[in-house]
Amino acid sequence: MKEVLVNAERCLGCRSCELACAVAHSDSKNLLSALGEEKKPLKRIFVHQARDKKIPLSCRHCEEAPCVDACITGAMHRTPEGVVTNVGGPAECTGCWMCVMVCPYGVIRSDKERRLAVKCDRACLDEVEEPECVRACPTGALVFAEVDDYSRDRRQRFLVCLARSMDTSSV
Amino acid sequence: MHLVIIGNGAAGITAARTARELLPSARVTVISDEPGPAYARCLIPEVLAGDRDPRSISFVPPGFYREHRISLLSGRLVVSLDAVGRRLTLEDGETISYDRLLVATGASPVLPDWPGADLPGVFTLRTVAQAATAGEAARRCASAVVAGGGLVSLKAAWALKRCGVAEVTVVVKSPHLLVRQLDEQGAALVQRELSRAGIKFLFGLDLAAITGGAGGRRQVELEDGRTLPAGLVLVGKGVRPNVQLVRRAGGRVGQGITVNERLETTLPGVYAAGDCVEVQDLLTGAKTNSALWTLAVEQGRIAGCNMAGRPRRYSPPLTRLYAAQFGSVPFVSVGDVRGDGETAAFQKDRVYRKLCFREDRLVGFIMVGWVERAGIYTALVRRGRPLGRLKQKLLDGTVSAADLMVMK
Repeated sequence: MKEVLVNAERCLGCRSCELACAVAHSDSKNLLSALGEEKKPLKRIFVHQARDKKIPLSCRHCEEAPCVDACITGAMHRTPEGVVTNVGGPAECTGCWMCVMVCPYGVIRSDKERRLAVKCDRACLDEVEEPECVRACPTGALVFAEVDDYSRDRRQRFLVCLARSMDTSSV
Repeated sequence: MHLVIIGNGAAGITAARTARELLPSARVTVISDEPGPAYARCLIPEVLAGDRDPRSISFVPPGFYREHRISLLSGRLVVSLDAVGRRLTLEDGETISYDRLLVATGASPVLPDWPGADLPGVFTLRTVAQAATAGEAARRCASAVVAGGGLVSLKAAWALKRCGVAEVTVVVKSPHLLVRQLDEQGAALVQRELSRAGIKFLFGLDLAAITGGAGGRRQVELEDGRTLPAGLVLVGKGVRPNVQLVRRAGGRVGQGITVNERLETTLPGVYAAGDCVEVQDLLTGAKTNSALWTLAVEQGRIAGCNMAGRPRRYSPPLTRLYAAQFGSVPFVSVGDVRGDGETAAFQKDRVYRKLCFREDRLVGFIMVGWVERAGIYTALVRRGRPLGRLKQKLLDGTVSAADLMVMK
């Protein structure tokens, strides 16, 4: 399965990914129209500053995802394509925030009014099957690729691997 | 190879699914004393409220058992376990042989021995059937008393209000609500929201008796002698793990069924998972009963792997992981929030946050009113490493997962 890999060395913190993500999840899918929408769209990727690094983070679609284990309704599930999402599944999200509580990346948001957990759902894939955040990244800090296609050395440049070690050691 | 699973809840169904995926050739049988397919137990307050019908809280898609080739024996009670002969006996006398067994029998609500606790109109809230029956009764009631100030009790009180019960009173022995999850300040925000919905509260005392059955006017007598009218009484005084089957078969039992790191009981070929087992808390090392949906799912998967011959270890979990929302007030509580070490609390209007530390480690936290990025705090509690420079970011509320990634 393809993943959004993060090369923090290349991130300038321009937040183009955040903007593209929000627009992709707006009703109109258009920046100018999205500005006028009553309920502003919510982004699902977040650029953080940690020490001297800028790190864009979105859902890793973990293999044994803590959010799926914690979901009390069965809404959070993995699609046959490997996408972890709480929409379009066997049950409805009721906004209990169990997933928000257990996601070690902090990338599941809580929409309190709609009682809906909001996260990367890969509903934004374009005609070449690339997510909007990756497409919008002007520096190549985000890459959408099969992890196994990367050699061990190259993989280590991507912080996603650090994240994975965090994942397995602590979750 | 015949794998038999007693219990059709979070642990049972996850184990069945896992074992089926790993061992396509095995026979997998799930036996449950409840009727129907697996359902989301945490959603039964919504059935009580009448917001959902029992069928709509199914936890598995239609056709799940057929597609996974799992035989479901529902509405069947297992009365004895012969661990030497590897054989179960059901209530109707039928016997079922197994090669490996998973006991995922869950827990049962505690019903205190108040006089009158067995009267009609007194309910506990554990099964969807109970929720539906209590909901029907509630629609004919003008008053209800809820005993207990924990999560189930409050969800029930909220649901009873939604049923249209005019007077709902929650009687709480502790000095404030949700003592397991929140401190006084955090609980006050939740209480405010529940009070706005019209729910009343009495603190510091318990029920003493319930009087007047069918026909008569049902009342609740409190410890201080006062009485409250109670068309319906709902008891939420916690649960007790269902250990009888294993105990009678000679298996060891502590705070729940004793299991090793492979989730095997002391009986050969018998595993256990979910609310019926004893676990060791990651933070305190204390033995406690496992009583969380998310732990049941993890344990079910690990038990399923082990039963299928793929050894996997279960490490001590965080046993306190709570999230919920009442009205417009969400909250999260994780880890050790007793606050007997260093604490830092922040409140601004209706948002409250408390961090509990021990020796430069985060051991627990409470968030009320705003729960964004709670998972990062949970990850820090789970890691248990010294915080160093990260502590200031925690205090400022600016910590992100990126900080954890660069943390050495």
